Amino acid sequence: MRARILSILAYTGAGLTLMIAVCVPFVLMGVFSNVVAHAGLHIDATYSGGTIARTIQRNGYRIVVYQPVQPRLLERVEPFVQIVFEPADSLPARVSDEVDLDGDGRPDVRVSFSVPADASAKMRGDVTALNGGDVSLADVADESFSRMVVRAGNQIVVRVPMNKVVAGR
Amino acid sequence: MASSSSTLRAPALRGPAALRRPKAFRGVGRSILLTLPIALWSLLMFMAAFQRAGRDERIGSAVVIVFMTALFFLMMRTGETYRWRRIFFVALGFLFPFGFIASLIAERGTMSIPISRMVSGDTPFCFMVTPTIILPAAFARTIIFPGSILPTASNPHSIAIMIGIWFAMTLVLGKAWCSYACFFGGIEEGFAAFAKRPKLHRFVARYSHILRLVPWAILVFVVLVSAAIFEPVYCMWLCPFKAVTEFPAVRNVETAIQMGVFVALFVGLVVVLPYLTKKRTQCGFFCPFGAFQSIFNKINLFEIRFDRTKCVDCTLCQTSCPTVALSKESIAEGKTLLNCMKCGACVDACKKDAAVWHLKGTPVAVKPERARLLFLYGAWALATMFGGSILAGSVSTMIHWLPGM
Repeated sequence: MRARILSILAYTGAGLTLMIAVCVPFVLMGVFSNVVAHAGLHIDATYSGGTIARTIQRNGYRIVVYQPVQPRLLERVEPFVQIVFEPADSLPARVSDEVDLDGDGRPDVRVSFSVPADASAKMRGDVTALNGGDVSLADVADESFSRMVVRAGNQIVVRVPMNKVVAGR
Repeated sequence: MASSSSTLRAPALRGPAALRRPKAFRGVGRSILLTLPIALWSLLMFMAAFQRAGRDERIGSAVVIVFMTALFFLMMRTGETYRWRRIFFVALGFLFPFGFIASLIAERGTMSIPISRMVSGDTPFCFMVTPTIILPAAFARTIIFPGSILPTASNPHSIAIMIGIWFAMTLVLGKAWCSYACFFGGIEEGFAAFAKRPKLHRFVARYSHILRLVPWAILVFVVLVSAAIFEPVYCMWLCPFKAVTEFPAVRNVETAIQMGVFVALFVGLVVVLPYLTKKRTQCGFFCPFGAFQSIFNKINLFEIRFDRTKCVDCTLCQTSCPTVALSKESIAEGKTLLNCMKCGACVDACKKDAAVWHLKGTPVAVKPERARLLFLYGAWALATMFGGSILAGSVSTMIHWLPGM
């Protein structure tokens, strides 16, 4: 009797598995994708740059300043701040902007770069620290996740490493 | 010791297909009838491609419909599983990198991922990363991968989409993902098929009990270290398939070392060792995702069992297993090990019909063909949907590149 019940359950399970297989492309893939999409997850700030702190409007373009990214205990990346210049196709050929990173009304860094006409061309730029909180970068391109001046789509992404003492406060 | 010595004396197979069942396992008419659902499913899966795609995509889809249906028909006709599945799987393994690399070259002119694409979330998500992102996602709600959670115009292979596909398919396949869906395993299965006889058979037989534990050790290592340093360690340092897909652009000493490791692992584990051992060495002795996938065998209803009344302990099944998922002890218990990927090699190799497909909960070796059919319909349907669409894309790319087409 037990063996018979087990067999019935097994074949019911096998039938369900087949039904699941049929449902995968039409329903299940979407259901599970929605679960992941709405799970409140976010991409690690090392890759995404973190959350936006403020937006500074300039003539024809804007500068988006992100919250400082503090690495976790064993994370290898340096603390950094991401600054995004967008839209890239509205930027002047040469950009040199003083940017207030911490919102105290005083500029913290000067970011300078040329915008190549060819969107796929490798970019280089300079970051000059105007106080002790940030690290200056000369002729930087895509050295690491915390030191870069790169074009990503229609944005110019600049990452400025922060002085570890200041970042740790 | 007894187990090792008897294993060492086992005849070296030319492959599971070397021991053929009678060719007409089933009549043509009955085989066609059993193939009909898969033929209709294939048409359904590629209907959209016919309606909206260009000429190359239509040809690619038509080729795949015929290919997948024909292979299923041959499975029904001959009663063999491994032999025909391997043709699909090797085609998938070799054509996936071709299509993928072609799309990368067309899009960005290089196989390398520049850092700019990582920060803009344009890295396609690979299912191999899945185990390493679980702990940071669970405890910090953070995905340690440079992709995007939702699909974007520049990255349709988002994390949510790819995890959704993987999990839905895993419910049906369990560890059989590794022999019906993984687009990497086919590469080494192909190189393993090139060799007529294994040259390192004795080494594998002697150390298989240790070798099959290595993927678990690597799984634990990459999961813990990834969670500690918030980096997808396997992806950044250990994935052999980076060498034939995409890899971080070489921009300093660290990325140059990473590239060297990818190439060395690919050549060693995916090309040379499969050729020398006739085993899927990366899958069996290295892949942490494969170890992770083994856990899902626990909830999957289908398995391979051994009818001890028929088994003569010849160890042909053990020799034929591509991922050392059989030991003398497990065969004595009538079972496979947890890492069995249900490729069917042992069933095809067994001369005594002692190795059988089995549905958990039913008596062993009673109606094994029914269990095989129930498993194969689900597995082949998903192989057609997932691997088939990859094959169709690669075939259409080939047609597109052919001169004069």
